[in-house]
Amino acid sequence: MAETKRQLNEYDSTQFEQRFKIAIVVILIGLYILVFRMWHLQVIRGPELAQRSENNSIRLRKINVSRGLIIDRNGIIIADNQPSFDLMFLPHRAKDSRFVFEQFKKLYINRKLAIPSNLSLPAESNPFIPVRIEKNISREKLAVVETNALDLPGVVVQVVPVRKYPGGETIAHLVGYTGEISREELKREQFRNYSEGDSIGKFGLEKYLDADLRGKDGAEQIEVNALGKEVRVLGRIEPIAGHNVVLTIDFRLQQIAAKALEGKTGSVIAMDPRDGSVLALVSAPSFDPNLFNGGISYEQWDKLSADPLHPMENRAVTGQFPPGSTYKMIVAAAALQEGLIREDTKFFCPGFINVGNRTFRCWQKHGHGMVNLHRAIVESCDVYFYNLGRLLDVDKLAYYARHFGFGIPTGIDLSREKAGIVPTKQWKLNKFGEPWQLGETMSIVIGQGFDLVTPIQLLNAYSALANGGTLYRPRIVDRIETSDGRVIKKFMPQPRWRIPISAANMEILKYGLWGAVNERGGTGYALKRKEADVCGKTGTAQVVGLPEDEKLRRARYVSGHLKDHALFVCFAPYNKPEIAVVVIAEHAGHGGAAAAPVARKIIDAYFELKNMRTPQDLVALGKKQDTTEVFR
Amino acid sequence: MKFDRQLLSNFDWSLLAFVLLICFVGILNIYSAGFSLMASGKTALYVKQLQWIAVGLIFMMVSFSIDYRIINRYAYFIYSISLFLLVLVFVYGYTAHGSQRWIVWGGFSFQPSELMKLTIILALARYFDNHKIKKEGCQLKELVAPFFIVFVPFLFILKQPDLGTALILLLIFVSIVFFVGIQWKSLLLAIAGTIIMVPLAWHFLKDYQKERILTLFDPEKDPLGAGYHILQSIIAVGSGGVLGKGFLKGTQTQLKFLPVQQTDFVFSVFAEEWGFLGGVLLIIGFLALILWGLKISLHSRDLVGTIISFGVTMLIFWEVFINIGMVLGILPVVGIPLPFLSYGGSSIIVLMLGMGLLMNISTRRFLLKP
Repeated sequence: MAETKRQLNEYDSTQFEQRFKIAIVVILIGLYILVFRMWHLQVIRGPELAQRSENNSIRLRKINVSRGLIIDRNGIIIADNQPSFDLMFLPHRAKDSRFVFEQFKKLYINRKLAIPSNLSLPAESNPFIPVRIEKNISREKLAVVETNALDLPGVVVQVVPVRKYPGGETIAHLVGYTGEISREELKREQFRNYSEGDSIGKFGLEKYLDADLRGKDGAEQIEVNALGKEVRVLGRIEPIAGHNVVLTIDFRLQQIAAKALEGKTGSVIAMDPRDGSVLALVSAPSFDPNLFNGGISYEQWDKLSADPLHPMENRAVTGQFPPGSTYKMIVAAAALQEGLIREDTKFFCPGFINVGNRTFRCWQKHGHGMVNLHRAIVESCDVYFYNLGRLLDVDKLAYYARHFGFGIPTGIDLSREKAGIVPTKQWKLNKFGEPWQLGETMSIVIGQGFDLVTPIQLLNAYSALANGGTLYRPRIVDRIETSDGRVIKKFMPQPRWRIPISAANMEILKYGLWGAVNERGGTGYALKRKEADVCGKTGTAQVVGLPEDEKLRRARYVSGHLKDHALFVCFAPYNKPEIAVVVIAEHAGHGGAAAAPVARKIIDAYFELKNMRTPQDLVALGKKQDTTEVFR
Repeated sequence: MKFDRQLLSNFDWSLLAFVLLICFVGILNIYSAGFSLMASGKTALYVKQLQWIAVGLIFMMVSFSIDYRIINRYAYFIYSISLFLLVLVFVYGYTAHGSQRWIVWGGFSFQPSELMKLTIILALARYFDNHKIKKEGCQLKELVAPFFIVFVPFLFILKQPDLGTALILLLIFVSIVFFVGIQWKSLLLAIAGTIIMVPLAWHFLKDYQKERILTLFDPEKDPLGAGYHILQSIIAVGSGGVLGKGFLKGTQTQLKFLPVQQTDFVFSVFAEEWGFLGGVLLIIGFLALILWGLKISLHSRDLVGTIISFGVTMLIFWEVFINIGMVLGILPVVGIPLPFLSYGGSSIIVLMLGMGLLMNISTRRFLLKP
């Protein structure tokens, strides 16, 4: 207490007097500025501002901007814009909103037009915010509303650009679709620049490239008089047009691929193995992205999402399949590179092999006899690869599989890409709590084990085989341009790494793939062209695990759903591969029979289109482009 | 009991009367601002504001009854709790209008950044009381600790983002430092340091953050947002004229041209309905409150009391100045409430706590006669 007393005696706040004075001066100046400004606004400008407030007022008008176009490599438009008409209601223009709504309903009923289901009176809270009555109205309704405009004060038609996908189902999974931003999305920080009613990419490239495609809406601050007529524009933000996106896709090839897969469930992808550019990417069954333009109806949505074939799923990147015999190339690559076999290493195939106490069969019941590596690839001899499986450690195989890009997403510009599975001993222990069995390696070497691959992974791996060992990140977008054609971003090919397989070994594998198509007895013989330039591998992924019973095997062929998945992956030409194609047809049977013909159509079309590009053809093409106003 | 009676007999009734009077004006004003909303059936805003004031008065009693020298002893502890709440907002906070500022607990939401305004005053007072500052003022090295006391919550609040509150923290810091004194050399160094830091900090901001700050100084850039508010606000204030349109008669207000008119733009409602005359009277009212606060500070018996009351008073001044300045379109729109008039529980409670501290210091000087 004495201490405090001493302190108190010592303390003399008058030492601060000077500073109190300064503070008071600062405060007085500050408040004086406020009073002066109030005097300026209320006394000097008072009458003028009072006038403005009376016939106020100031409105905000959004200037909608068109989304950027999505264009294929030759300038064909894949995603376009077209005007749609929204019916809006401006509560402040109508004396009695309820009355106007009744009029509106009566009019619709008289003309036997469907009344929008969510039609309700707008909240009273802000009469100057337009309320949307109906989205994307038909021309018929438009005519009715326009001719009866006088009876419907406050009801106006607003022109809004909406997406149009001329390609429809052909390219749905790739371009995706747009929709109105949801409330949940609006809450997220990444969408802070969006507002209610905005369109946003929901799926596919529309979603992935939304920021580039979207542009920025402009706005005008306008002053209107008591009748709602515009008096002057007070401020304006210019809209910024969305950027155009140019794809690596060749839409003509895309159409051919979609056609070739018609009626099947599965996926086709074509790629330029030299740089990973995707030329076509199809998933079937598909859906019509145009359904989403004006807001999809509940019935349509239900139908799409309840379809057992999942048409909304992009199988090319999210479908995971056992790779079947296409995986043998990875096994061969690993065995060669590890020095376990040489090109001329031979094994005898009697049609089966005993490993441990189990018997593993070759697909060729009678056996292939004495086979070397080349013939084993050509004829897809299971027993040869069972023998490699006995020599190869599963972790070593996984090491090579990963370098071929399996077990990790390829990084393609499409969302929800799956990684697939490359099993290792540790993986099995973690997953099942059991150690690895040799029998499981036997399943893996013929692609029927735990392994799962996506079509894009498989294609990417074979592209690497084709180009001599460089694994690329698949590229769909070539460049982004402004609406007047200035390139903003150019997406270069992205090599991810070189696969650790020597050039000599690569050549052996590639020659094997050539043989599988062009030599007698090759599993891909169906794809042989007179140019003898295609290399490829068939695969048949069993849906039911290895059947012991012949009856079951037969049953599977009959009852569609249990039939095997047919796979085919190939590239051409042999010397300098410039196109690689993967085909996966679900429950379609044997790869050579069901998938190879599809691939064949695409390869044929590719070379046909390529040969078409003589100077004269290009002129013809150019003319076509002009009429469609591709590069606006 | 004798002590209590002494407290009561020396109680600063005038300050309480001032506060209640301004609160009353605030309630009338919110009643008017929310008048056209009342039809919608929700609890009227003015009723809620009344409840907040009632709760605030309880808090005022609490901060009044505990001797401020005891509060001072726990200043750093209170500061830490405040900071903890701020971090909590950062992790669990509730986001509204694109800014993460609120802690929601039960049915109540609270803004720890508001509380921070008061607690840094306490922490700074404690610091400057402990480190006896020489007559010539403090040196740069003595400012390092107080700088961080302010800078840490400043960053958190900036991140929310709540530029206005962050700015207020800085202004409180600067006010108090000037008050306790700073050596010329140190002042020049500090200014030089700031000049160097600003472009550097600017460099690290993201594009959208830069845009947000630029819009503050040039509302025309954003005629949909800030520019719209300012224009409507200026029309509202100006159309009030000399005498105003009268209570509940403000057309700008009643027709809802003004967004957030019950919170940050509440002064435009007042100025529209009560005119230049009403506006000047309100500003004089605030001036009286501020001068009263400075008087308390001047007459305080110890340095802690002086600094705390000075800080609280300056807090009121800066909020009044920036809020009205932004409503009148001469300062950027940063989102600072007008003391006692803006609707909002956190702001009212914190202000009442501050008023309690002023009364605390004002009353106890009679009990501490040397």
